[in-house]
Amino acid sequence: MKRYDLIVVGAGPAGLSAAIEAARCGMKVAVFDENAKPGGQLFKQIHKFFGSKEHQAKIRGYKIGETLLAEADESGVEVFLNATVAGIYLDKEVLVQIGEAMTHFKADTIIIATGAAENMVTFDGWTLPGVIGAGAAQTMMNLYGIKPGQRVLMLGSGNVGLVVSFQLMQAGCEVVALVDAAPRIGGYGVHAAKIARSGVPFYLSHTITKADGTDCVTGVTIAEVDEAFTPIPGTEKHFDVDTICLAVGLSPMSQLLKMAGCNMVDDPRRGGQVPLVSENGQTSIPGLFAAGDVSGIEEASSAMIGGRMSGLAAAAYLGFLSEQDKDKRLADLEIALDSLHQGMFAPGSKGQAFAKTDEGIAVSQSLLKKGYLDDTDLERFFHRSDQTDKKSGIHPVIECTQNIPCNPCQDACTRGCIKIGKTITALPRIDAANSCTGCGLCIASCSGQAIFLVDEDYAPGYASITLPYEFLPLPQKGQLGTALSRSGQPLSTAEIIDVRSAKAFDHTTLVTIKVPVAQAMTARFFKPATHAAGQ
Amino acid sequence: MNRINEHPILGEPEKGQLVSFYMDGKPMEGYAGEPIAVALKAAGVMTHRYTQKNHEPRGIFCAIGRCTDCVMIVDGVPNIRTCITPLVSGMQIQTQDGVTALEVSDETL
Repeated sequence: MKRYDLIVVGAGPAGLSAAIEAARCGMKVAVFDENAKPGGQLFKQIHKFFGSKEHQAKIRGYKIGETLLAEADESGVEVFLNATVAGIYLDKEVLVQIGEAMTHFKADTIIIATGAAENMVTFDGWTLPGVIGAGAAQTMMNLYGIKPGQRVLMLGSGNVGLVVSFQLMQAGCEVVALVDAAPRIGGYGVHAAKIARSGVPFYLSHTITKADGTDCVTGVTIAEVDEAFTPIPGTEKHFDVDTICLAVGLSPMSQLLKMAGCNMVDDPRRGGQVPLVSENGQTSIPGLFAAGDVSGIEEASSAMIGGRMSGLAAAAYLGFLSEQDKDKRLADLEIALDSLHQGMFAPGSKGQAFAKTDEGIAVSQSLLKKGYLDDTDLERFFHRSDQTDKKSGIHPVIECTQNIPCNPCQDACTRGCIKIGKTITALPRIDAANSCTGCGLCIASCSGQAIFLVDEDYAPGYASITLPYEFLPLPQKGQLGTALSRSGQPLSTAEIIDVRSAKAFDHTTLVTIKVPVAQAMTARFFKPATHAAGQ
Repeated sequence: MNRINEHPILGEPEKGQLVSFYMDGKPMEGYAGEPIAVALKAAGVMTHRYTQKNHEPRGIFCAIGRCTDCVMIVDGVPNIRTCITPLVSGMQIQTQDGVTALEVSDETL
């Protein structure tokens, strides 16, 4: 029987991070993953991550995955693929199915980082081919280069539903509607705004009542729900779609922990059956740790920190790391994790409605219900007492109105126009005393695509707006199209006056449009004359 | 029409060699190494199997080998998860009907 100091189950962000830290402390580490490729879901994450520099913010998920794999390789971690851990026994022995063979491995510590599985909802016709999980959509389009469908309806407005809807549009699919039974959009407002301004309608307090079709999905019916989430007769709406995508939450895959005899708890805020763990992921069984989504649903950035913490804790448990060094390094990681756990979307605030931001500004109800800021919101957020705003010359307009942990815009601006401060959940402020050069680095650095450069003095009667654009085909200078409002409504003819791509922008193209000056604060997207966005 | 030729973030998808395979006896093409389910999706195949009791169609659902909705008969072996099984040149894929192959009349070929 092969022996290791540490066995990690799951080669996703948490498992790999744990393995890397442990191996760097000198441990002999094996990682088992049931998939053919390591990296978990990171290679399907093509959006820029949130957080700050230490959390690898503004870097796309798949790039973070590539870094993790390189680090695992350098640190000497042994990764076994197509290796399903089928059993976990006393004294840290695991049974692994590799190919057709069952093999036993033994370690002195184990870290379970098996992640989570997608939740499902049932409705009439939900088993038809064409009803898929949001994860399936991501896998098909981002790993294998195939469209999940042509016309898609998304159920679920959490960050997964929002991010995958945008990715579907990037892949060239049409998203006909985003539906959620909850009365409010669950994910980040900035993610919702990206979808809303390209014209996708949001149906909150709605659910799917039926998927149509005999051999596969040909349509879908949704209906409004009452406070008890029961569909209200007479409110049905029908869409012709070939795909229905479900993004209705995740559940920890904690079966191995339960099998090992760890003390479990049913915690709805963490997504279901999770192990009781200390802050370093130590379960009720000494030397057995849990890291990442398996111990509570969050996102990849916190999973990586949690993984590193449990890797260090495992190293200290076996004496590969002194208690003193462990405490010092864990303290730093705790600070990094704590900064991600702040703001309106913190794990402890799940489902909570906030009336005001930390700055005391009433939150946008329109953003929560329809996915975009309305005109009354602009007054509150852009003419704030804590910032100086400008109405002439080129200047950034930051449509970031919720307290989320993210600050790359502050680092991107070399002129000091953008200020967030030490608390990374604070709303960015504009300091108009420092003049904007229009470099556009802030636009490309914003993971929420919420920054626009506006110049009301571009030409007599005309303003220019520079916006982030991540669709194909790229607009060309001189091209005409339609300027769309935040809600995706056509405003006027817009002309492309500049298109900028740069390595530093990392595939976010900066498109500058010329619009009538009256639309300087309303036009937020460009639709080419002959193509729909992303088609 | 289902294939993404160029992606705004990922560029051109990496593909293996173009190979032939058979779906219920009908020749089709796909890229070696990609999941069988992806090759079928590109060819417009939605139904992978029919359930045993109610003969209801099933297709791709989770695409990561977890749900077993997409299982088919591959080279004579039933219950193969097509979403995580790589395509190999010359593979014989059959729609699964319960636990056996769906009977396909010669006329449909």
